[in-house]
This record gives sequence, C-alpha cells and structure tokens, in this order.
Amino acid sequence: MLALFAIALVGCDAGVPKSNLAPAKAKAAQCVEPTAEMRKNHMQYLLVHRDKTVIEGIRTTKHSLNECINCHIAPTREDGSAVHYADEKKDHFCASCHTYVGVKLDCFQCHADRPQVAGTINYQHKLSSNTYHLSAKGTQPNASDLLWLGNSQNQGVTQ
Amino acid sequence: MSSKTIVYSELRASKAYYILLSICFAIAGLGAISFFHLEHEGHYVTGMNNQIVWGLPHVFAIFLIVAASGALNIASIGTVFSKTIYQPLGRLSALLAISLLIGGLAILVLDLGHADRLIIAMTYYNFKSIFAWNIILYNGFLALCILYIWTMQDRKLKAFYPYAGFFAFSWRLILTLGTGSIFGFLVSRAYYNSAVLAPLFIALSFALGLAVFIILLFFTYRLDKRELGDVVLNRLRYLLAIFVAAAMFLELARHLTALYIAQRQGVEQFILLDGGIYTLLFWVGQVLVGGLIPLSLIFCRALKNNHWSLLLASILVIIGGFVQLYVLIVGGQVYPLELFPNAEVQSSFFDGEIHAYAPSIWEWMLGLGGVGLALALFLCGMVALRFLPKSLADSELVAH
Amino acid sequence: MSQINAYRRKFMAALSGIAAGGLASGVILRSVQANDVPAKPVDQPVSNKVRWGMLIDINRLTDGGASMVEACKREHGWGNDPKARPEQQAQWMRTVKVTDKLTKHSFTLPVMCQHCAEPPCVDVCPTGASMKRADGIVQVNKHICIGCRYCMMACPYKARSFVHENLTDQQPHSPRGIGTVESCNLCVHRIDKGQLPACVEAAPNAVIFGDLNDPNSRISQAMKALGGSQIRADLGLNTGVRYLGL
Ligand code: SF4
Ligand code: SF4
Repeated sequence: MLALFAIALVGCDAGVPKSNLAPAKAKAAQCVEPTAEMRKNHMQYLLVHRDKTVIEGIRTTKHSLNECINCHIAPTREDGSAVHYADEKKDHFCASCHTYVGVKLDCFQCHADRPQVAGTINYQHKLSSNTYHLSAKGTQPNASDLLWLGNSQNQGVTQ
Repeated sequence: MSSKTIVYSELRASKAYYILLSICFAIAGLGAISFFHLEHEGHYVTGMNNQIVWGLPHVFAIFLIVAASGALNIASIGTVFSKTIYQPLGRLSALLAISLLIGGLAILVLDLGHADRLIIAMTYYNFKSIFAWNIILYNGFLALCILYIWTMQDRKLKAFYPYAGFFAFSWRLILTLGTGSIFGFLVSRAYYNSAVLAPLFIALSFALGLAVFIILLFFTYRLDKRELGDVVLNRLRYLLAIFVAAAMFLELARHLTALYIAQRQGVEQFILLDGGIYTLLFWVGQVLVGGLIPLSLIFCRALKNNHWSLLLASILVIIGGFVQLYVLIVGGQVYPLELFPNAEVQSSFFDGEIHAYAPSIWEWMLGLGGVGLALALFLCGMVALRFLPKSLADSELVAH
Repeated sequence: MSQINAYRRKFMAALSGIAAGGLASGVILRSVQANDVPAKPVDQPVSNKVRWGMLIDINRLTDGGASMVEACKREHGWGNDPKARPEQQAQWMRTVKVTDKLTKHSFTLPVMCQHCAEPPCVDVCPTGASMKRADGIVQVNKHICIGCRYCMMACPYKARSFVHENLTDQQPHSPRGIGTVESCNLCVHRIDKGQLPACVEAAPNAVIFGDLNDPNSRISQAMKALGGSQIRADLGLNTGVRYLGL
C-alpha cells in the first residue's frame, strides 16, 4: 500500500518521492548498515565488494548486490507483473530514487534486477560430497569407473 | 631556410566554405546518430557478430589513424630531413594529422560496447596490452602535434621547432608500429601473425597520409583561389609513387613469407585464390586500383604536370588503401580459426566455416561520421589559425 | 548389478595387465584417497596454491559433450538472447565435430575457454578486465570491460562472445549484459562454494575436475598416468582444460 502511495506521489510530481522500502521492511527491521550511512555511501560498499568478489573470490553476503536485490525487491507486483529497474512505474527500489536524482546506473545491464523466481536446477554434487562422482573425494569409486577411465584411450570412438 | 619568407594566412571563410563545413558536420551528425542507436540498442543492429568482431567501423578508424600518422610525414620531411620545399606545408600537415587522428579515434571509441566507460579506459591500464599502449601513443601524438604547430606558428619558439619536429617524427613512427602491432601480435590469427605487418603499416601510412594530404591541399587552394604550382605537386607526386611502391613491396613480402609458414597457407590461399569477394577486393581493389593504376598514372610521361591525374592517383590510392585494410581486418577474420590443423571441424558456433560479413547502414554511418568529423576539424582549423601559405606558386619556391 | 560385476571382473583383469608394465590403475586408486579440495571459506580470497583444471575424456562422452553444453546454458542463461542473430548469440561452450582429413576418423568434443596459464586474452585487454584469478580461472571483470573485443581477436579457441543487446532477468549468480565480453568462467560462483562446475556435473563419468597444482589430486594423478592433451598445444598456452583421446 505504501508502495502504491509512493508511486502515486511520483505520478503527481509532488516533491521528493519516497523510495519503495516496502519489500525490505517486510523482511528485516534494519539494513546491513545504519540507514543514514546506507543512503549516503551504499555505492562505496558495493564498489569495494564487487572488486573483492570478482577478483579475489570473496563471497560474503553482507554487502553483495544480490542480497540487496533479494531483500529490497519483490520479484512481481500484486498483479503478477515483473518488477524491473527500467519500468515506467519507477517502483523498483533502486529506480525510485535514482531516477529522481538523475544518477544513471549500469548495474542492471548485467546483474539481475529482481530475485529469481523460477529456481535454477539444483545440482547435487559438491567437491567434498560423498555422492558418487569422478571428482568426489573420499569414496571408493566403482571399479567399473576406473576401468573406463584407464582404458578409454584404447576403446576407440564410442559416439 | 628559404630565401623568400613564406607568408601564411587563414583560410577565407567564403560561402562555399560554409557549405562544405556544414556538409561535413552533417555527415559527422550521422555518425552521432548511429552511435546513439548502437549505445541504446546494442550491436545486434550491426553486421558484426561473434565471428567478425571488428568490422567496417574499425576499417574506417584504422584508416584514419594510419593516414594521420602519414599526414605528419610531410612536415617531418621538412624538419627532420631539412628538405626546405616541404617546410611551407608543415603546418597544414600537422593540422591534418590531428584532425584525422581525432576522427579515427572517435570511431574507435564510439564503436566500443561501452563507450560510456571511456574514463575506465583512461584510468585502468594494463601495461601488457598493446591497445593500452596505443591509447598513450595517440594522446601523446596529439600533444606533440599541437606543440609542433605551436613552434611553427610562434616566432619566439622557433628554436624548439627542430626538436618538436624530431620528436613528432619518432613518436609517429612508434605510433604506426603500435597500430600495426595491434594485429601483428595476434598469435591465434594466422593472417595477422607476421613481423612484416608493422613495417607494412608504416609504408601504408606514408602512402595514405600523403594521398589524403594531396587531395585536401589541392581543393583547399582551389576553394580559396590561391596559387599552387607544379613544383610542389610534382615533388608530392613522386613521393607518393615511392610510398605506394614501398607498401606494395612489403605486402608482397608478407604474402611470400606466408607461403613458407604452414599455419598460414590456408588463409593465404583463401585471400589470394578462392575467397570470392575478398580475393576480388585484393586483386582488383588493392593491387590494381590501389597500386598499379596510380603508379602508372604517376609515371606516365604524357600526364606529367597534370594535376588531375595526380588527384585521380591519390583518390585511387585512398580507395586501394581502404580496401587493403578491409581485406586485412575483415578478410583475416572471415577465415575460420584453426583449432585442429589437418582436420575439418564443424560446430554450432560456426567453427571451420567461412564467415559472412555484411556491414549494416549503422556501421557505414559511424565510419563516414568519423571522416566527416575529421574534415570538419580540418576546415575549422584552417580558418582559425594561419596554416596555409598564401601562395605555393613555382616562383615562390624555385629559389631552393 | 550383474553389469557392474562384469565390469569389475574386466577391471581386475585390466588391472593385472596394466600393473605389469605401467602404473595407470595404481595411480588412480591412490588418487582417490588423496583428493582433498576443501571448500574455501567465503570471506577468504582465492589462493594461487590452487590451479583449477579439468580433464575431459572424449571417448567417454557418449553425446560428444552436448549435455555439458546444455548444463552450461542453464547455469548461466546464455544462448537465447532475444534479438541477436544466430551468429551473434553467445556461446560459452560448444561441441565441435572434428574429422581428420586423411583418415576421416571423427570425434566430437566440447570446447570452451581453456583457462590458459598464459592467456592471450588477458595480455591484450587494455583495461585489465580480462583477468586471471589467483587460482587460474580466466574470466572477464565486466565492471571494467569497455567492449573493445580485442580479447575475442586474441583468443585462439574462439571461446569468447560479445553480448549484442540489452538483457533482463539474468541468472543472479552469473551477471551478463550488453556491450561486454563473456566466456566460460569455470563456474566461479560454484567453485567458491566448493561445488563443481555445472558442466562437470553433467558428465560425471567423463570429466575429472580438480587442482592441477596438487600432485596428489585425482586430476593430476590421472594426467600423470594417462596424459592430457591441449588443443593447439603448439601455441604453448598451458591450458587448464585438457583432453583424453584427442
Ligand atoms: S581460451 Fe581464450 S578466453 Fe580462455 S584463457 Fe585462453 S585465450 Fe583467454
Ligand atoms: S572487450 Fe572487455 S575484456 Fe575484452 S579486451 Fe576489451 S575491455 Fe578487455
């Protein structure tokens, strides 16, 4: 409701729009950093974290953009339509402010701008899993697998 | 120095001048439209794809950049080799170099997938990358050209003129080597992987730069009704012949060496014999139109002192050079990468197939836009400052 | 069950046969116990003690790797960009059918980024967007990729694609978007969690994934015993993706 109200306000061009905080409020009382700090410096946190993630492979969730999206964006509106950053309605959390202040973003050219609805296929095997897999550790593989592997070069084409 | 002092003056901004200028700007505007379209829609509107990753815009851009470096050559000959007859042309040649380079760079930048991240290209450097080196080389070239012009224009700085000229000359050679090396170091692409490519680019730059210079010099003097004598033009005429011949010779060397490298035989056979349009472009466009015809135009006795034949030769050299770059850049990509020598490959990603490339209207607009921008800058420059000798009539120059 | 028993019998026979002259079987048996690749703690950077690699046994791929390609597509969401023409579609991985010109012998294998130790794509990239992680994974840092496509010109394996249009609803764990270049990143997001790359999971009987730097890892042991050829080995790029039966 609050969100709708905010949209209405933007529509009427009545001063500073309220950012669409409803989805996040429904999930947590407090953001990962104090609100004032987030308002001012969220881009710094994201910038530092993005380099850490891409270059060093550090995948903590606290300042990850994916987690921002998961918490702040509801994937669909009440009528079932998808919420996207570029939508006219500007009810996407990031858009609600960024459009107003006129700061262009290119995050969502690559990053998903809403939580994923349809789940990805859940792969069962892990590096350390005990389920059977050639690369798995710890288990004695079936002898048959070793046979395949050891002999493959002599087997000729199997396709 | 010259016995007679050469007097320079600004170009008169006549009506014809403004018409020309607005045409140039209009063409540059087309380029801008194309850029916004690409930026908004993405590159799917172009003919480029994951096989032909560099297309027509890159041909235009490299053409302009290479020609820019060659255009400065005229000034260099005057300064570095103390050939006084070329000295009056020095200012104009430096101006042309700057204009062409900016035009070429504009295309290159505006074709980027993320032209908006230009600031990143300027702040994050990977010093192993020849491309990054080229960014530095281009910027340095612009700065040096400006410095050079300054020493030529300002009497107080006359003492620095030879140094500026020498630096600009060496920098320019390195720049063209760098441009050639963009391709020369691609080990994976059989057609490019050759040490001859860098010197070839230098020879090509001399020829293209000079051809562009001749044409623009001629028409500017017509436009402003100034006198342009046979002496200057004949000098340029033979210079052009030397450069064209040198470029052809190096191209010949490149193909001959390729015949001894097994990896390159496939692609050589493709370009030289059975590449369809690329073979046609190579033999007719590059060799005949860009080499043999201009050479015979220049050396034909009956056409000595004939300005129009020189002009025609220059235009043909430009066309031939453009075609040569097209065959090199696009033709080199059209031939598939060799994953498994001695085997035929087939896949959903077009492995082992001759790729097709048809440039779209957007690529043409972007490329021509860069040319328009370069010419517009050139025209503006001549009006703003004193680049043009009042007269290049024979009587002004014979004293040397 | 009886089938497995049959294999087992054959295996024993093979084992005694190989043991006489070689070490293949013995090596593999030992490698099973030694393969300890712990999942990295999320807050720790990757280390260069590890170098991830993959050994693909072509003859064991009954489908030539098509299922691996499918798994990659699903994991990263490429291959269905709405506006791109077929030649413009991204292909992080594809199956290539190779037919010898002389013998007409043919086989199919999956080809993706080979995660070169000396990657030409990284050398040429002007901004450093094309990068090699400490653990040997080569990927594009799309934050600073300017879309010049020079890396695509430099890659000998045609492993890279350019995104030609605006995309939405990407996989959250695999950002990809307009104007940037992309390629197989060995499923970094999964490896960092201690999971196997999607394609490896899709072909469990034909691919070994592991640490090339650890002489005791299964992949190192298997390569020691059986070899592991590179595509275009003549280029000397020391690829992290190796093949058996090339
Ligand atoms: S295969 Fe290509 S993209 Fe991958 S690391 Fe090697 S050069 Fe780079
Ligand atoms: S396209 Fe991107 S990753 Fe590739 S070379 Fe250019 S900036 Fe680097």
